Amino acid sequence: MGTTDSSIVDSARARPGLLFVALLGGLLLVDLAAKLAGVGLGPIGGSISVDRLGSNLWNGVVIGLVIGLAGIGLSMTYSILSFANFAHGDLVSVGAFSGWGVAFLIAGLGDVSVRALLTVRDAGNASPGDIGAHILTTPGAILVGLLAAFVVTALLAVALDRAFYKPMRDRDGISLLIASIGAALIVRYLLQFVYGSDRRGITASVDASNLAFDPLGLSVNAHELTILVAAVGLMLAMHGMLQHTKLGTAMRAMADNKDLALITGIPAERVVTATWIIGGGLAGASGYLYVLLRGTIQFDFGWLLLLLIFAAVILGGIGSVYGAIVGGLVIGVVFTTSTIWIPSDFNQAAAFGVMILMLLLRPEGLFGGVTTT
Amino acid sequence: MTADAGTGHAIDGDAILRIRDLDAGYGDLQILSDVVLDVADGEYVTIVGPNGAGKSTVMKTVFGLTTHMGGTVEFEGKSIQGLAPERIIREGVGFVPQNDNVFPGLSVRENLEMGAYILDEVPEDQIETIYDRFPILRERSDQKAGTLSGGQRQMVAMGRALMLDPDLLLLDEPSAGLAPDLVSDMFDRIDRINDSGTAVLMVEQNAKEALRRCDRGYVLVNGENRYTDRGDVLLADEDVRRDFLGG
Repeated sequence: MGTTDSSIVDSARARPGLLFVALLGGLLLVDLAAKLAGVGLGPIGGSISVDRLGSNLWNGVVIGLVIGLAGIGLSMTYSILSFANFAHGDLVSVGAFSGWGVAFLIAGLGDVSVRALLTVRDAGNASPGDIGAHILTTPGAILVGLLAAFVVTALLAVALDRAFYKPMRDRDGISLLIASIGAALIVRYLLQFVYGSDRRGITASVDASNLAFDPLGLSVNAHELTILVAAVGLMLAMHGMLQHTKLGTAMRAMADNKDLALITGIPAERVVTATWIIGGGLAGASGYLYVLLRGTIQFDFGWLLLLLIFAAVILGGIGSVYGAIVGGLVIGVVFTTSTIWIPSDFNQAAAFGVMILMLLLRPEGLFGGVTTT
Repeated sequence: MTADAGTGHAIDGDAILRIRDLDAGYGDLQILSDVVLDVADGEYVTIVGPNGAGKSTVMKTVFGLTTHMGGTVEFEGKSIQGLAPERIIREGVGFVPQNDNVFPGLSVRENLEMGAYILDEVPEDQIETIYDRFPILRERSDQKAGTLSGGQRQMVAMGRALMLDPDLLLLDEPSAGLAPDLVSDMFDRIDRINDSGTAVLMVEQNAKEALRRCDRGYVLVNGENRYTDRGDVLLADEDVRRDFLGG
């Protein structure tokens, strides 16, 4: 017994932070178990229903998928172009506005003016409910909207690259980062100019759209299921592209070693363009899906979401596509389950707390140094 | 200077690589001045010289990776000055740089496939040829290149550069970082590549071994040509031995 004990003590001495996190995590788990059992032991315990925990976890997974989807593009552009693109959050917003504009156009053509539809506005007496964008009533409009979000955002991402980033290709990461903040501001306030600054409802509510999974006490609505299917589908497509196509292999090669890629004959600019198309497209799709989840849209929501996307990407190991997905899920679940212990006003803080712990204990992130792209 | 080794740096016949009066460097810093260098078809040429002589810079300049300041670089009669690396590869030049010369996150096979990126289809027969040349790579086909030993990685790097069956292979310090007992295996492999008809231009720190094996050698000092002759003549030359080969 002596040897095991001393090795545990040794490793605890070597990594006191890890010990602290393990203790804290253990305490939270004990507390959660006590809460589920309805036992109160002084400061810990209390009561929480299994239903609530289940729905917290489910919501976390759904938000996490959306964040992870957005994180893929951020991580890809980081690994291939070596800079953190601060305009990524606003690409998320662009996807949401352009995609929902197209979805509204298809769902409400004829009843409402085209201009009002494309700018995703309530027009006269037509509320979003009347336009009726809902996966159960207008599935075609929702799907075409998703496609439009991907395409428009991909095109904008390539345009931003041509206008700002390409001329600066040889500069260092800090110059590009600052340029991207400028690009972010331009995009964000163009959005405000075109679409206005008010927060507005987008999705219609449809009765009986909730599917209950009784054994778990989980209530899942049709929009959340749509997000699950769309996000997982896009992630699988991404995985297949990266691992099994020539372009995907070239992307991984460029992420590994740009100089070698150049002298190997990989056409760097074409790979970079493809990276913007895919990364930007996925950002747009994630913004569109985020609005499907939240039901409302505002010109700067992508910018506000960017912090969580960065947290997910850093948590997963910046530069790793798979890390971004896993990081997104962790951030999403922490975001929603932390409300068990702390007021929901602070749940974003909990998500960043997890990111900071990760940076302290494993600075390279979950997937950092293990897999590239 | 009483060296017997030749000081005429050009060759009489046709050269596939023909460098004349080359000035090149990085940014404002000039490294090479008036360098003359020829490689004939199927020839095995090495560049030796002290550290900082600009040996690697010659290779990088052929591949357009430095700042060109004057002179000409012709390959098979065409100027390749200012061409993108992608185009130079297409002309028939392969390059194995000294460090970080494999994609560590890609499998051995994927590394080879990237070497043939400019082709529409993966040339399966060429991959087989390379696996026949380096049988260990066939066994490690699906393994990530980053997990291989230094010697195996060097084989992946050479295999990648041979994917398009180049007429000229540029090798920058192929023995660097290899365990001493692997160095002569590496030189044997280079001999075989050259025997199969590919011209080789090699920069090598291990100057004696390189000169023993090559057809001709160039001694570069301070970015300028010093001696040029057959490898064995340079090896036997007293001045060359004393100044550059450690006696």
